[in-house]
Amino acid sequence: MRVVIGEDEALLREGLSLVLAQGGFDVVAAAATADQLLDETKAHKPNLVVTDIRMPPDHTDDGLRAALFIRQTMPKTAIVVLSQHLQRRYAIELLSGTSSGVGYLLKQRIADVEHFVQDLQRVCAGGTALDPDVVTLMVARARTDHDALLRLTPRQQQVLALMAEGRSNNSIARHLLISEKAVIQHVSHIYDELGLPVSEDDHRRVLAVVRYLSQ
Amino acid sequence: MRSLRSALAVQAGLAVLIGVVEIVLCANSSLRPIWLHMLVTATGLIYVAAGTIAWLRRPSNRIGSIIVVGGFCWLIVGLESTVDESLSCLSMIAITTPFAVMIHLLHAFPSGRLRSKLSHRTVVSAYAVALVLQLPNFLFDPRMSPDGVLAICASPVLADFGEWIQRIGGITVMVITIVVMRARLRQATHEQRRVLAPLYLYGTAALLLVPLAPDMFMPLFGLSMVPVTTIQILVFAGLPVVFALAVLRGGFARTSEIQELGLWLGAAERPPLEQALAQTLGDESLRLVYWSNERKRYVDADGLRLDVPRIAAHRAAVEVEMAGRRVGAIVYDPTLNDDPELVRAAGRVVAIAVDHERLTAELRASRRALKISRERIVEAADSERRRIARDLHDGLQAELVALALNAQQIAGQRSAMPDVREAATKLRSGIDATASQLRQLVYAIMPAALIERGLSAAVEDLVDRMPIPTRLQQDRMPRRLPDRVERVAYFVIAEALANAVKHARATKLCVRLTLREDDLIIEVTDDGVGGALAGAGLGLRGIADRVDVVGGRLHVSSPAGDGTTVNVEIPCVLS
Repeated sequence: MRVVIGEDEALLREGLSLVLAQGGFDVVAAAATADQLLDETKAHKPNLVVTDIRMPPDHTDDGLRAALFIRQTMPKTAIVVLSQHLQRRYAIELLSGTSSGVGYLLKQRIADVEHFVQDLQRVCAGGTALDPDVVTLMVARARTDHDALLRLTPRQQQVLALMAEGRSNNSIARHLLISEKAVIQHVSHIYDELGLPVSEDDHRRVLAVVRYLSQ
Repeated sequence: MRSLRSALAVQAGLAVLIGVVEIVLCANSSLRPIWLHMLVTATGLIYVAAGTIAWLRRPSNRIGSIIVVGGFCWLIVGLESTVDESLSCLSMIAITTPFAVMIHLLHAFPSGRLRSKLSHRTVVSAYAVALVLQLPNFLFDPRMSPDGVLAICASPVLADFGEWIQRIGGITVMVITIVVMRARLRQATHEQRRVLAPLYLYGTAALLLVPLAPDMFMPLFGLSMVPVTTIQILVFAGLPVVFALAVLRGGFARTSEIQELGLWLGAAERPPLEQALAQTLGDESLRLVYWSNERKRYVDADGLRLDVPRIAAHRAAVEVEMAGRRVGAIVYDPTLNDDPELVRAAGRVVAIAVDHERLTAELRASRRALKISRERIVEAADSERRRIARDLHDGLQAELVALALNAQQIAGQRSAMPDVREAATKLRSGIDATASQLRQLVYAIMPAALIERGLSAAVEDLVDRMPIPTRLQQDRMPRRLPDRVERVAYFVIAEALANAVKHARATKLCVRLTLREDDLIIEVTDDGVGGALAGAGLGLRGIADRVDVVGGRLHVSSPAGDGTTVNVEIPCVLS
């Protein structure tokens, strides 16, 4: 897996390179600005781009704009966007395309190397990785609008959140320490309750849930 | 004032008496139609009446007195009708004086004083033409006075020569007067011209009519001497009315209206002082400036510095003093009021009011300085927040990620002791928790969304995080607004929402953002208990301060039991 990194902080750029190398990724380039990130991505055509949002030249959402541009022009490239602060709007913008292979994580997650690498691998495989924080934000907001969410049991709400993060049934089962069969039952109940279209594909499932939460 | 009134009354009474005598006696006159005598007498009375009114209403203006003098000249001319020998002689001597008085009026308008040496000489010449050059007419021609009493010899040659000289002198005076009037009209401002033009036009017509009428009308229209003389007299009779009206109408010096100023001071609701002075002195361009003791210079009503030499080009200025202190100055148009004493008198009447306005002006100036300094303080505080948020983001937050990463590296080392690995994992979670707290701190200082995406995105994010269902409506909101507006608007909304959550016991909140013309309009409503007061709670006071600093308006409607609506308008000019 070839990766291009976009991060303006030298300390984090190195840390990220180290983590990715240890996780079995091949870091082909590390850019310090959004423009440089676009150039490196065009040049190396990596499998994965991991980028910070706030970067030079404008120090606003340059990294995110670059990521969205890469998703549009090179749809096969998986993208993971990192930030110090998560916003629902950014998550929706990242998921708005039709292609899969996208992640939006809090920067602090890098330190939890094992899970971070797992998330990146899932995105590389065409999956989705939404940070639990942004999912919590979405669910909390949706709860004020959708009565259906209030009819879910706490356990089902947990499962729904993990689905939104982009986890597979297997991953959810391991996370909640329950059987995969129990997860499938919860999932089908959630589908019924919220009236979601059934999908076997984890990524499509994320889209459906996120779309539902953002209505 | 009372003595002036009685003096004028005596004077008018005398004129009426003379008039009555003339009219009663004219029946005996064998000369000309009788009504012509009456017309002359009536003209004299019209002069006296118009002059007296002008004199009474504008005591400092001498036009009224000149008109009255003209009236007596006409009455003397009218004495011819008395058939009395000596009185008829007086009439003969004074017969052309109305012409000189007319010249005098034209030169002396508007104040009644002669302004230039040329005017002065011309008027003196006019009187000389009327009185001195009149001499040959009756000295050398016995026919001109009853029984030739005024004649010293009968010399038609000398008499003709004298008449010729008088005509030349009269025409010269006339031409100079017309030239002077033209020049004054040209220098006059638009407003002055409105008064001067009709007056000078009438004067020119009257001037031309005196010598030209007999030569023009008689052959041209086949008129005899009587109608021509009638026309001349009628034109002259209109003159005092026109001048008196021009003086009374304003636009030119007034005096008795200084009393009006006194009334103005006592009135409960009064127009601005400057306007009152302008009206009183008939000078729309009049300006009142105030002396700032603090800055040792003149300022305007807002306390802004003023260059008196600049505004005083082609203007005159009179200082206003109170108790020996300079409090201001009246800057006026000297062509409208050529008597500085009059303006000074007006200044004395309103000195207290000027002093009051002066203090107000200084207050305004210091208030403005205060506002600017407050703006700077808020601006500085906001920039500092932004800087701190950035520093934390680029420095501390990144550092914590790196530290957590290091801790995790230790935890992941298979060679390390199990208790070390466990401690390192614990350390990493601790760092993560600290990072989470730091995120909230940074969010409170200056949310990332505001820096990265602007007001709309930041408010959307804010609303997402509200513990109470909150709706956000945006209308015509551009992606970015000026930094200052975005920051004020964001913190106002954040404060209003926090207030609602803390105090209102609301179940629903709503934020509305609209950009209307040059205003950003913010409305934060809740369905809570109401009863909030602007300025009472610390939160609302914070909002009020912020809004005030950017020149915005805050309106809080919070009836008890019926929710609260915070309405804020912030000036927002998009570049």
